Amino acid sequence: MLRYATNRLIQAVIAIFGVLTIVFVVMHLSGDPTLLLVPQGASPEMIAELRHQLGFDQPIFVQYLEYLKGLAHFDFGMSVVQRAPAIDIVMSRLPYTIELAAGALVVAIGVGIPVGILMATRRGGFLERLLAAFVLTGQSIPTFLSGILLIFVFAVKLRWLPTSGIGGWQALVMPSIALGAISMSTFARMVRISMLDELGKDYVRAGLARGLSLGSVVFRHVLRNASIPVITIAALEIGNLLAGAVIIETVFAWPGIGQLAIQSIQSRDFLVVQVIVLLISFTYIATSVLADVVYVVVDPRIRLAR
Amino acid sequence: MQEEPETASAGIHGRKKKEKGNMLKRLVTASALALTLAAPAAHAQAAKDTLTIDLPQDAATLDPQLQWNTDSYTIYRNIFDNLVTRDSSGKIVPQIATAWKYTDDKTIDFTIRSDVKFQDGSKLTADDVAFSIKRIIDPKFKSPQLSQFDQIADAEVVSPTEVKVTTKSPYPALLAQLVKLSIVPKAYVEKVGDQQFNAKPIGSGPYALVNWQHGIQTTLKANPDYWGKKPEFKSVVFRAVPDVSTRIADLRTGKADLITEVPPDQAINLKGASGLKILSVPTERVGYLYINAQGGPTKDLKVRQAIAYAIDKQGLVDSLLQGYGKPVSILGAEPVFGYTDKVKGYPFDPDKAKALLKEAGAEGAKLEFLTSPAYDQTQVQAIQQMLNDVGFNTQIVMLDQATFLKRRQGDAADAGSVAIGRWSCACQDADGIIFPLFHTGSTWAKYSNPKFDALVEDARSTLDKAKRMDDYSKAYEILREDVPGIGLYQVYAIYGASSHLQWKPTANESMFVDRMSWK
Repeated sequence: MLRYATNRLIQAVIAIFGVLTIVFVVMHLSGDPTLLLVPQGASPEMIAELRHQLGFDQPIFVQYLEYLKGLAHFDFGMSVVQRAPAIDIVMSRLPYTIELAAGALVVAIGVGIPVGILMATRRGGFLERLLAAFVLTGQSIPTFLSGILLIFVFAVKLRWLPTSGIGGWQALVMPSIALGAISMSTFARMVRISMLDELGKDYVRAGLARGLSLGSVVFRHVLRNASIPVITIAALEIGNLLAGAVIIETVFAWPGIGQLAIQSIQSRDFLVVQVIVLLISFTYIATSVLADVVYVVVDPRIRLAR
Repeated sequence: MQEEPETASAGIHGRKKKEKGNMLKRLVTASALALTLAAPAAHAQAAKDTLTIDLPQDAATLDPQLQWNTDSYTIYRNIFDNLVTRDSSGKIVPQIATAWKYTDDKTIDFTIRSDVKFQDGSKLTADDVAFSIKRIIDPKFKSPQLSQFDQIADAEVVSPTEVKVTTKSPYPALLAQLVKLSIVPKAYVEKVGDQQFNAKPIGSGPYALVNWQHGIQTTLKANPDYWGKKPEFKSVVFRAVPDVSTRIADLRTGKADLITEVPPDQAINLKGASGLKILSVPTERVGYLYINAQGGPTKDLKVRQAIAYAIDKQGLVDSLLQGYGKPVSILGAEPVFGYTDKVKGYPFDPDKAKALLKEAGAEGAKLEFLTSPAYDQTQVQAIQQMLNDVGFNTQIVMLDQATFLKRRQGDAADAGSVAIGRWSCACQDADGIIFPLFHTGSTWAKYSNPKFDALVEDARSTLDKAKRMDDYSKAYEILREDVPGIGLYQVYAIYGASSHLQWKPTANESMFVDRMSWK
């Protein structure tokens, strides 16, 4: 077990190093960042001076070492636009994104799992087809469209919920649904497949033969066994939700890191963008490592198989 | 204002705990009902006192001498005063300065109002004015606005109500630039430091900062001690709402009273919607097409002229801007000093364009149309089509903004053939437009003509208005002949507003809340 976890951690460290390098290359080799920062009428002298101040006139390798050195000290640089540490700006917005991702996860799991169970137990029936259509819809409507549709129906026409911004649980409802829809479909499909897998096994038939109702077999035995792949999906979906927040936060004027990313790209505040990209990448890596470890803890057969 | 619906729901949930019974269903329904009822009522009541404005973004900084992107600028200009300002008709009028007088070509004496107080109660004096000017021109302060003010050499206090400003050379655009130079309180800035001043700015303007929730909203309240006309709205909330569809939904539901940056197609849709109106104003901003005069096939004058004849400006304005724009003959618009209607533009004449192209032997010439996601791609594609219609082979080169700027501002050989842009110096002076775009050695210029250079240099360094006008007319005539770029259309700013809001937007895209009222 320990060796398995250590291996995964080493892999994660390599992945993190790869991410750091890719982010650096993308940020520094696509054009001259100085030009993004100077006003439109700036003279060549002003541009040269700023380039020097920011260290962009150094050889790229020196810049890369400086960058790694900075990161090692948890120094992500100053936002040139807001004149505050980039990490502080991102951290002040992170709670909103976590709140939104949590809301979306509640929607995804709260709806996705029951729908998956129903689809598996009512296999071939009208309800399954109806739910299949529902799942397909959730999966295929792009989030920017579902967001705007929700706003139009529930805020503009029915006036049940606020159009945009934060403030109370009401404000969280629509963005959570819009963001959670795709994950919901993933959960529903995963639960359906692993339930069907389990339902065909001998212990289910044995249970039913003993006179247990389908409901009690499902909830006491099948669900527990079917939950293992679902746990993995849950961990991976957290990363997806963070990345998906970029669009949803923009549509709903939700002040999280997704919106901040768009704003920072537009205002060319590239050190802030860098922190956000790193943060989302780390979350992906961390949750996937966690999922792998949890997977083994829950199902010892996987460890033995290796 | 937004807290009210929450309080209502908290009350009901509180009661729910006491009753303990299985009334959950009823209560949820009741609380939902209470919320639906409470929300519009709260908005309607608050609307008269509180004005809510949806901007695409939150302010980046509120120190008025740092960022001046549209959203920061829109907000902080309500907190601060300037030496001079522009009235609703665009004329430069006194604000903190009551009078000014040139003592020589490079020196101007300002008389300062003696009845102005900052929002912390301290008096605004000549000391603060001189400090504000010196602060923004100090290279160590690294103000992004520095290039707007770097012609100013110094500011000296003569007496508590008099400031002497000197410029490096005679500088005709000084007053136009001072319209944007906010007066900050010297004592406060020195006491708290730059970072704290940015977090909690204090000015002398009609509104004072109450609360700045980064990325969410900025709340200002009317300054009770304001020296000028008291503003009608007791408070104003600037919300950050990036998506235009959401801003429109906010306006429709009354969550916002005024929204900015409405695209033309949405403006057409909103026309006639009950309870709202579209406000639009021709601005000093001008849409233009850059043409590389120093590299590629466009090095040939005939090719550049062919491009100019190939563009249907009226067609662009009618079909893509839905009429929210006006074709221009030169790279400048009416609110700009130096604008002339004497220089005629190139009419839309595809046959002439084809003939010129044939003459130049450049039929099928490959044009690189540089662009980035920051520009309107429908316009890029429309212009590509127009160019191909007369026999060019135009290829759109989509780049990220950093690479776009690197190529556009770099070596002429690599700067593409054409690109579109929308230019404004927020100074309403041709000096801020054609000098940076076309003067030899400027980063944007892929063009060099000593005669043009001499004219714009002369216009920059004389105070004689008639002479300046004459210089710019001649300079625009040269640009017409050499075609290193063409003006396409004057940009209109488009706002969506509640039909109760009374406000006249201005050409320099300022948004002064104290000039707004409710009917």
